[in-house]
Amino acid sequence: MLELGMALFSGVTGALVVASLPKATERLRRAVVLLFSVTGMVFSWRVAIKIFNGGNIGIIAQLGGLTWSLDPDPLGAMFGLIASTLWVFAAIYSFGYMERKTRPQTYYAFFLISLSATLGVAFSGNLLALYFFYELLTLATYPLVIHERSADAVKAGRKYIIYSLSGAAAILIAIVLTYIWSGKIDFASGPILVNTMRPGLNLLLALFVGGFGVKAALMPLHRWLPAAMVAPTPISALLHAVAVVYSGVYGILRVVYSVFGRELMGTLSLARKLPWVAAFTILVGVIIATQQDVLKRRLAYHTISQLSYILLGAFTLQPWGLGGAILHMISYSTLKVTLFFCAGIIAERADETAVSRMQGVGWSLPKTMIAFGVASLGMVGMLPLNTFWSKYYLMRGGVQSGQWSLALVLIGSGIINAICFLPTVVASFQGEKAKSSGETGGNTMLMLGPTLCLAGIALLIGLYPGIVWPGVEAVVNRFF
Amino acid sequence: MFLVFLVTIPILGVPIWYFKRDSSINIPFMASAALLLLGLLGFKDVFTGSALVYKMALSGPFSPSFRIDALSAVFVLLASFLWLVVAIYAPEYMQHEGKTAGFELCTLLTFSAVLGVFMAGDLITMLLFFELMTIASYFWVVHRWNGEAVKAGYFYLFFSIIGGLFLALGIVFLGSSGQPLTLGSGAVGAFEQPLSIWGIVLLIAGFGIKAGMVPLHLWLPHAHSVAPTPASALLSGLIIKIGAYGLIRVGEFVGWGAQLSGGTAFLGPGLISAGVLTMLLGVTGALLQSDAKRLLAYHSVSQMGYIILGLGAGLYLGTQGSYGLVGAVYHIVNHALFKATLFLGVGVIYTATKETDLYKLGGLLRKFPVTAVLMFFAVMGITGTPGLNGYASKTILHHAVSQAALAGTPLVVWAERLFMLVGVGTTASFAKLYYLMFLGQPTKLEVSGGETKQFQAAMSLLVAIMVLIGLRPGLFVRIAALPLAEGLGLANAGPALKGLNFWAVPDLVGMAVTLALGVAFCWVGLKSGLFHWQPPRFLTLEGLGMLIYQGFSSLFRNLSLIYRNTAVALKRRARVVRGRFLTLSEKMENPEAITFGNMSFSDISANTGLLMAVLVVLILVYTYKDLGHYVKLPIPLAKWIGK
Repeated sequence: MLELGMALFSGVTGALVVASLPKATERLRRAVVLLFSVTGMVFSWRVAIKIFNGGNIGIIAQLGGLTWSLDPDPLGAMFGLIASTLWVFAAIYSFGYMERKTRPQTYYAFFLISLSATLGVAFSGNLLALYFFYELLTLATYPLVIHERSADAVKAGRKYIIYSLSGAAAILIAIVLTYIWSGKIDFASGPILVNTMRPGLNLLLALFVGGFGVKAALMPLHRWLPAAMVAPTPISALLHAVAVVYSGVYGILRVVYSVFGRELMGTLSLARKLPWVAAFTILVGVIIATQQDVLKRRLAYHTISQLSYILLGAFTLQPWGLGGAILHMISYSTLKVTLFFCAGIIAERADETAVSRMQGVGWSLPKTMIAFGVASLGMVGMLPLNTFWSKYYLMRGGVQSGQWSLALVLIGSGIINAICFLPTVVASFQGEKAKSSGETGGNTMLMLGPTLCLAGIALLIGLYPGIVWPGVEAVVNRFF
Repeated sequence: MFLVFLVTIPILGVPIWYFKRDSSINIPFMASAALLLLGLLGFKDVFTGSALVYKMALSGPFSPSFRIDALSAVFVLLASFLWLVVAIYAPEYMQHEGKTAGFELCTLLTFSAVLGVFMAGDLITMLLFFELMTIASYFWVVHRWNGEAVKAGYFYLFFSIIGGLFLALGIVFLGSSGQPLTLGSGAVGAFEQPLSIWGIVLLIAGFGIKAGMVPLHLWLPHAHSVAPTPASALLSGLIIKIGAYGLIRVGEFVGWGAQLSGGTAFLGPGLISAGVLTMLLGVTGALLQSDAKRLLAYHSVSQMGYIILGLGAGLYLGTQGSYGLVGAVYHIVNHALFKATLFLGVGVIYTATKETDLYKLGGLLRKFPVTAVLMFFAVMGITGTPGLNGYASKTILHHAVSQAALAGTPLVVWAERLFMLVGVGTTASFAKLYYLMFLGQPTKLEVSGGETKQFQAAMSLLVAIMVLIGLRPGLFVRIAALPLAEGLGLANAGPALKGLNFWAVPDLVGMAVTLALGVAFCWVGLKSGLFHWQPPRFLTLEGLGMLIYQGFSSLFRNLSLIYRNTAVALKRRARVVRGRFLTLSEKMENPEAITFGNMSFSDISANTGLLMAVLVVLILVYTYKDLGHYVKLPIPLAKWIGK
């Protein structure tokens, strides 16, 4: 109870404190932001550990004639744990990144509100709470997307809002239909639609997947994501590679395993086509990524591709597939945030955003480019990095579901990933050696520290996947 | 624990490397000497048939396990010995290349990864060290960091990455029927599912990339020739042998010493043909090279062909396959020794002349007498001259192939004939190398410096072992090969190997004929300019690959162009439609005047007009639909709208 509340409200409380502080107190503001994100992280960890050990924490409230339920299961706890942990890294990185940027107060306030909204999505125990926090997350992150206030930013913000709200509208219709057909909306007592056999289930699934698929950037609903890259880099890293897009992915996972349930999914004709939608997104997303010259756009298309790995694992409806999906949620997020952080450092320190002009950047930012290289190798799925394990279990899931060609898709995507990132790393070490290092100066450690730390975590999980295994096992056991 | 310690010894050198001030401390030397010593002391029991096993107790899906049996022990000792030799050679040589410290670090890390591959106890641990080795040795390939090195680096990196991914997929496919993929537990059962057979094929392809198996060898000549020479020696001498080691382990999953049938029966003939193709293409490529290091690199491809052929013959012969397997392992050891010597010798010449193009060298015998003599031993080794080590392994391999040819299909019979042909080609290309380098016209290049003690010591160490093996070819078979083959499951290896006679007259005569023909062919080639012939692009695999790549990329470009044009056209169309719609609705909004045909609604507002129009349409539609209940109408509106 207490843990759940503390985790959920630390963000909002922190945002109120930040908003009420006077404008000129940069250091105090940083301290507050750090304090409240760490609080959020610590309590999400405590929630998660309790849940993984079989405990039960729930808050159910009647409000306005509706039942609101916060009742995380292992899946939600895992999502909350990933998001809140990365929030702390992104907060520290932001301290460095936002030093010379405008409107830090607005930035940090909405940054913290988004934490609460994300944890709300993660901990929601019924469709209503999920929908509420999902919409709240859209609204809380909109100011962050248009933070620059440039024409591009406003345009991207409009795109983001239109896409997200249309998706949410589809979800709302689907939720109403679900309630009419089954009379239930809570996740705790097994899949909602478990004994419902009626026409129209395919349509319902399409509405759900289409609705959540907007945030999960399932092709062809992905267009907002590359546009939203005008946001400050920590936001691109945290929200548009992890938290916001994961809320869409998490929604789809919920729909597949808690609304429909895997038995019912197995009988739907649409459900058999969904892995191939994900496979299409995986391949086309990463192929488009190789064509992008602006590094952040390349990363954005790459995000689109990688998110579908998770969906692919979920759509296989196999224990190993789901395990791989959860592992990929963990491992992809650490590496992708590393990549974005590196892109931010390159943009700030070397003033370079185009891949084709990276020559020599590596000599002035060696540590950054090494972290970038490590993360790139991870994206290929090479072994000392954690993404190998997720890919391994996703492939096993694909084989287990009888569709071994899904494993080939993952291998093909690995090769294209190598084409996408490794030449950038190599090229950055070609060309003139820089005279001075760009990695010195006051705020560099604030940006470089989290980056290197995350790359280290990725390596550690890769060598010893046992540390995240209990969580993955708990999620898989919840649904199988 | 002992095994983990062995793997980490080179890594222990890294802190020393970081903090050392004195450049005379040779850390790779210390590490490899320690390993050689510990290996020789610690592996005694291994050769009597008991494997050392250690499994780390980690929770979760992965806990690395380590295992040393006779096969691993041979490779570990071989690796330690080669690293020791190169560590003696490298400090002096790297003065000429620069970036000594980086090279040393890379040498240490690669050493550790290589040891890990050989000591791994299951496929995933092996893959872990395999990938680490790829990354560490990549920095050898790109050491010079010029355009050529970066290009070769890409070749190396991408092929290796694809190899690693193949291995991962192979592990998934092979493990899909639930077997634990630990090494040394014999065959993984019947191959009934096509998926597990594909798993084996993928594993072979993955290791085949590392082994330079045709057509997966394209990276090898690039990568091995641009690396600094000590690294080339290790790449060609040992790193590609990891591919062969992997193939032997894959053979273990299928079952050494078992008659293959059903789904896996194609593996024997398949590997034999892959081996023969690799031998042929490698030796042809080598004959046409003008660069000494590229020639040696192509020869690594060709000699790997021998090894793959041996493994194929071993699998093909089943219970009688001990000659094939033992010949392959023996050739791995021998090739490592003479190929390292050859590379190091070329490196000596390079330090003095800064040139590896054979046609610009010549007559260097006077200036480099010791190198020339040592190189001559190595050339005799690789061509299979009796008295040197190459003869021993080639004889066993030849026995294996002729044994298979007796039993077998036309394919295997052809393999035996081509075996001799490749021998001729090998002799010819090395006669060419030696003639153009040490004999012939004296070079016009300026020769500065010469042999040093370190160079001579390193190469002499290798040559000493080569001569020892050459004169006592049975020694290795007795000490290492026999327990190795028995450990892998070839139960009746003992009688076959003990009855082996290396000095049979037909073998000696065959080798003498091969040598004579080779030298004659070399003479013809040099006189006629045949060696300068460059095959047209579509005939080389590399050119073919390039053409395919260009085809694909132009296809992709055109497709994306079409997509972009369509998108632009659609967007334009949409804008036009939107504009029309807007003007129409503006007209509707305008209360002044609207004309539908002859009627003019100048007095009432357009909204009312619109409302009236909609009502009229609805009335018409529903009247028509109502009619449908009585009369059959061409458009069945009643059915569509419902009651």
